[in-house]
Amino acid sequence: MAGLELLSDQGYRVDGRRAGELRKIQARMGVFAQADGSAYIEQGNTKALAVVYGPHEIRGSRSRALPDRALVNCQYSSATFSTGERKRRPHGDRKSCEMGLQLRQTFEAAILTQLHPRSQIDIYVQVLQADGGTYAACVNAATLAVLDAGIPMRDFVCACSAGFVDGTALADLSHVEEAAGGPQLALALLPASGQIALLEMDARLHEDHLEWVLEAAAQAARDVHTLLDRVVRQHVHEASILLGD
Amino acid sequence: MPKTAEALERCRSFLNESCRPDGGERGECRTTTVNIGSISTADGSALVKLGNTAVICGVKAEFAVPPTDAPDEGYVVPNVDLPPLCSSRFRSQVASQFIADVIENSQIIQKEDLCISSGKLAWVLYCDLICLDYDGNILDACTFALLAALKNIHLPEVSINEETALAEVNLKKKSFLNIRTHPVATSFAVFDDTLLIVDPTGEEEHLATGTLTVVMGEEGRLSCLHKPGGSGLTGAKLQDCMSRAVTRHKEVKTLMDEVIKSMKHK
Repeated sequence: MAGLELLSDQGYRVDGRRAGELRKIQARMGVFAQADGSAYIEQGNTKALAVVYGPHEIRGSRSRALPDRALVNCQYSSATFSTGERKRRPHGDRKSCEMGLQLRQTFEAAILTQLHPRSQIDIYVQVLQADGGTYAACVNAATLAVLDAGIPMRDFVCACSAGFVDGTALADLSHVEEAAGGPQLALALLPASGQIALLEMDARLHEDHLEWVLEAAAQAARDVHTLLDRVVRQHVHEASILLGD
Repeated sequence: MPKTAEALERCRSFLNESCRPDGGERGECRTTTVNIGSISTADGSALVKLGNTAVICGVKAEFAVPPTDAPDEGYVVPNVDLPPLCSSRFRSQVASQFIADVIENSQIIQKEDLCISSGKLAWVLYCDLICLDYDGNILDACTFALLAALKNIHLPEVSINEETALAEVNLKKKSFLNIRTHPVATSFAVFDDTLLIVDPTGEEEHLATGTLTVVMGEEGRLSCLHKPGGSGLTGAKLQDCMSRAVTRHKEVKTLMDEVIKSMKHK
C-alpha cells in the first residue's frame, strides 16, 4: 500500500503514538452558566461540548411521557467548520440523527431514569472540531455534563474507538486512521462493572481478531475512566473551596 | 424564565438606584474575553465571551463563481445558529440578517479583494456563528466574534493556470484579509421609556420594554442602527447611546489589538 503507513515497523503510528496509547485528553466541567450541566472535552484535536438540561417537564406532547421513568433526549450537532471540508447541514442529516440515537441508547443504559418518572432529560452535544473519535468524545463529554447536572447515573460511561491494522489493534483512532478504511469499532463501557453500554462496528473483521480489538478498546476506555474520574474530583475540590468548606 | 411581577419590580428597584441586579454599573459592559484561532479545521475562528454569553465563529473559505451582476466580487455568507443547547428558550433567526447587514453596510472587507479571476472564480466566506451559551446580548457577541475570526483568517494565494484554466492553490503562501473597518456593536435595553442599560443580560432582556443596537466604526462613523419596535426613545437618549457606543468601540478595538499582538509573538 503506497502512501501513509499507519503503523511503522517499530510500532509507531502516524502521530507518534504506540498502538494502545490514547491521545491527550483535557476536560472541564461546568463551563456554561445557563445549562444545568455542561462539559468540554479535547481528545487530541477533537473538541466536543456537551450540555444537559433537566430533569424537567416534558416539552411538547404530554402523551410522550413515560409513567415509570424519564425520557432521555439526545441531539448531536457538528459545526459546519468542524471538518476539513465545510459541512452543509449541521443538524437534521442522517449522520447526526444516527449519532443522536446512539447517544440516547448509551445514556438510557446508564442514567437511573426510574428516579425521575414523567420527566425529560436533554443532552445536547456540539462538536467544534472533528479529528476522529467523535462518538467517543461526545460520550465522554456527555458523561461529565450529566455528572455536572447532578443526575444520578449507574456508573461513568467511557467510550473509545479502536481499529485493526497489520495484525495489531490500535486504540483511539484519529481522522487519518479512520479515513484509511480499515475496520473501526466504537465502544462505550461502564468501567466499574465492565458492562458494555454500546458496541458499534460496520466493517469486515475476522472473528479471531475481534477479541483483540475489543480488549484494546476496553483498556482504552478504562484509561479514559481514570482521567475523567480525576477531572470530576478536581472539579468537586474546586467547588468546595469556593463554598468555603 | 417566567415574567413575574416580582422580577420586574426587583429589577426596577435596582435600576432606580443606578445599579444592576447582577451588581454591575448601569453604563458598564460585562467582562469581555476573546480567544482567536482555536479551531484548526476552520480557516479563521474566534470565541467571544460577554459575561456568560458565549459565541463561537468559524470561517471557511471556498471557491465559487462570482455572481453575474458583480463579476469582480466575492461574497460573504453569515449564518447565526442558536441551537437548543444555548438556552432552554426558543429564539428566532433575526440575528443572521443583522450580521449580513453589518457586513454589507460597514464594508469590513472590500468584496473585490475576494475576487480571484473576474467572472470565473472568487472566494466565498461562510461565516458560521454558533451561540454556545445564551445570557443576553447575542448581537454584540456575534459581531465581535465575526470581526475577530475575519482578522484571523489566512487565505492561500490562488492563481489561474492559463493553459488548463484550473486554479492552482499555493498553500505555502498565505495572507491575511485586508480588514478595512472594525465595526463594534453595542446593545442597550430600555425600561419604561426612561431607563437605559448597556449590555443587557438574559434576564434584563426578557424584562425590558425595548432594545436598541448601535454599530459604530472608526472615528464615530455609524454603520448600523437597529431598533425593532419597543418603547420609544427621545433624541437626547439616542445621543447618549451613540457616545457610549463610541467608547465601547475603543475598548473593544484595544482588546482585539492586544490579543492579535500576543498571537503574533507566539
